[in-house]
Amino acid sequence: MANTASPDGAPRAALALLGSLTGVALVAALHSRSPAPATRPSMKAPAPDPAAANRAARRLNRAAGTLAASVLLDSAVEHYRGQFENRMMYTPLVTAAMALGVSAHGTMDQRQTSHMVRDTVYLLTALVGVIGTGFHLYNVRRKVGGISWQNLFYGAPVGAPMAIGLSGLLGYLSERVRETPPGQRPMIWGLPAGRAVGVASGLGMAGTVGEAGLLHFRGRFHDPFMYLPVAMPPVAALALGRSALGPTGEDRRATRWWLRATAILGLSGTVFHAIGVGRDMGGWRNWQQNILNGPPIPAPPAFTGLALAGLAALGLLEDHPDD
Amino acid sequence: MSDDPMTTPRAMRGRAPDVFHPGGWVPMKEYPQREPVDFVVIGTGAGGGPLIARLAERGYAVIGFDAGPYFRPLEDFASDETSQSQLFWTDERLVDGANPLRLGSNNSGRAVGGSTVHYAMVSLRFRPEWFKSRTLLGYGADWPLDWQEMWRYYAQAERDLAIAGPVSYPWGPKRPRYPYRAHEINGAAEVLARGAEAMGYQWAETPLATVSAPRGESPPCVYRGFCRVGCSTNAKQSQLVTYIPRALAAGAEIRDLAMVGRIAVDAAGRACGVHYHRNGAWHFQAARNVIVAGYAIETPRLLLNSATDRFPEGLANGSGLVGRYLMTQSNQAVYGVMDEIVRWNKGPPSLTITEHWNYEDRKDFHGGYCWMAQGPLPVEWSAALSGSRRLWGAALREKMGDYNHQVGLKMVGEMLPHFDNRVSLADETDRYGLPIARVTYSWHDNDKAMIQHALGEMQRSLELVGARDIWRQENDTNHLAGTARMGSDGKSSVVDADCRSWDIPNLWICDGSVFPTTGGVNPSLTITAIALRTADRICELHRAGDLRF
Repeated sequence: MANTASPDGAPRAALALLGSLTGVALVAALHSRSPAPATRPSMKAPAPDPAAANRAARRLNRAAGTLAASVLLDSAVEHYRGQFENRMMYTPLVTAAMALGVSAHGTMDQRQTSHMVRDTVYLLTALVGVIGTGFHLYNVRRKVGGISWQNLFYGAPVGAPMAIGLSGLLGYLSERVRETPPGQRPMIWGLPAGRAVGVASGLGMAGTVGEAGLLHFRGRFHDPFMYLPVAMPPVAALALGRSALGPTGEDRRATRWWLRATAILGLSGTVFHAIGVGRDMGGWRNWQQNILNGPPIPAPPAFTGLALAGLAALGLLEDHPDD
Repeated sequence: MSDDPMTTPRAMRGRAPDVFHPGGWVPMKEYPQREPVDFVVIGTGAGGGPLIARLAERGYAVIGFDAGPYFRPLEDFASDETSQSQLFWTDERLVDGANPLRLGSNNSGRAVGGSTVHYAMVSLRFRPEWFKSRTLLGYGADWPLDWQEMWRYYAQAERDLAIAGPVSYPWGPKRPRYPYRAHEINGAAEVLARGAEAMGYQWAETPLATVSAPRGESPPCVYRGFCRVGCSTNAKQSQLVTYIPRALAAGAEIRDLAMVGRIAVDAAGRACGVHYHRNGAWHFQAARNVIVAGYAIETPRLLLNSATDRFPEGLANGSGLVGRYLMTQSNQAVYGVMDEIVRWNKGPPSLTITEHWNYEDRKDFHGGYCWMAQGPLPVEWSAALSGSRRLWGAALREKMGDYNHQVGLKMVGEMLPHFDNRVSLADETDRYGLPIARVTYSWHDNDKAMIQHALGEMQRSLELVGARDIWRQENDTNHLAGTARMGSDGKSSVVDADCRSWDIPNLWICDGSVFPTTGGVNPSLTITAIALRTADRICELHRAGDLRF
């Protein structure tokens, strides 16, 4: 039987502290959402506005921070559950915390130059996402049965590390947007920034749908609401992809609406997952066990982060039409 | 009033225990004793449970009788192996023959929900050929059932019991996806998988009747490991938490601690009710139909004990086969010790399986077998070490120290039906004054050949994964079947394909005792599928005017 006599007070206290800190950061980030201008300078291409580029960059910082917060808590819970069997399992906690920190900094930073520390942390974070994916794949492959439903369900989740990778990538893109010289359009890798960010967040969203789909399949979609994260974000990703690859000047209200809905979906997912924890044996009274075994409460806001990035991409596309 | 379920009936005064809420009750319809109900079902296990629910849902007046108590899983099931022996049928029985059966634990149950309250939840389908094993495989007897029809009822049973199984099952014809995903496999199950891969055999997660995600008021399994006794979380989809609540909601009555001692027959030779013992006295319940679902020992015992002048050999026994062709399943095991920590008691005990030898016919004996991972709890394990390995004292204590490194593979093998393996009545009587059962069992050459084959295979599998200190448990058997076999004519069988007795048209038998052969898989899902089919057939026969009410 599991030892419930509380031998591990310290990690739990740390977890609670991390949780409340991140919660505060998340609330603050949402609260500081700048009011969208009533009319957008669309259709006619005005002179590129450095303030607009900064605003887009800060939106991306916010998106990266949301993702980082989700990963920080999720990997803390899951790797604690895995008893930090391998020392490398501390890595996402450290990098996600750092990414969260620099994202908070970036969200408040009005300057129009990139920041070396932020840039480095974001790059590192993206790299950790890739390496983590490798580790998780290795974990799945070495189990008996290899790549099988059993191991995809219960082995290290193959898609999860890419969430922190995406946080790093969005942050990195944010820095590129931010360093746009005055009078020029934000460009990334030779592409208009809005298009690059749109494609990146659309793809990230598709990957996250795969992860949610796999795990909700494991949970046999026992609650009809479990279909939402495999139904709504794909539409948002497709609409975003269409905006990112299509001609400028299109009406993007539907896309924006879907992205906002997806952002809300990600946040409300935590509530659904909290309800799910309550459905496990002993409910919330048995939280020490059920937080670990039940649906991961911090995971769904990954959709919020990606939807926020998608909204930033739309903003970039509209602020800086490229034809 | 006492709330001891072992001594005081709980399903009384218009209410029955609500198994999902501590101290809760659900309303229950009650039928008067003098007015005949449409169906009396004797036994509430894998056969009786679905029948009571399905017939009540079709609008019939049904009473389910069980000799055992009505447990509240959330309150009555302590995490204590010894206290859980309350779930077994431990009344006295005589055993003899060359290989006397050990009765009273995993081959019996005495509770509302029957032995499904403590079963290991393994829910497997028969290999289709087994329904025609005489014709297609050359041994045993043919069933009067068509496997494709059974495939549909298996699917219904799997849905009703929310079986958690692999996304695709490697053996046999295509089956629908299991309603719930397979559970995470534990260390012992992984050892089976690695061994099977080393031997070139396929393996799979075992389909289990315990949910891997919430279902209604059942929370997902917490891998507590007390699976071969009562599940205290209601994750186990036993009859007690599935069909029985459905039956109550549909207007059936359950009478717990009600031991049926005799089926009454009227002047026309039709069953007309049952005499049962409850609350310290004998009572009579009138009925238009009687369905016996007491499993392979109590079913023939009741039929034999109900003998009258008109039926001196017992009811439904014109063929003389009631009590005959008793079968058990060989349940031998091979155990070993791994260097690494395994913790085989975590989670359900049989998380992986290989059915290789159920579907492979290149072997020199009849019948099939599977083997599954094992995870006995400490008391059961010490009983195996002392009883089968003959360890005692310091040696036993030393071996118990290996508990967390222990692994094991256990077979479920098809023993063949033999006329002389049987249940009969002894002269001795029990606390109700009823003659007790005498159970006679001998292994035959084919059974022994299969056991030796399986032990060799399981040993090889453990050797291939590096287990040491390997030993064989050669004497264990488990599930029962036979004693009221179904067939195509009244000379060679007791009931027809609809589980209706050939001799008495309103007397039905629906449990593991109708099996003509027992197959190499655990029987509960097949019993439930047959019960679901019987419920449908009863309705069809009624509609066709072939049933008198």
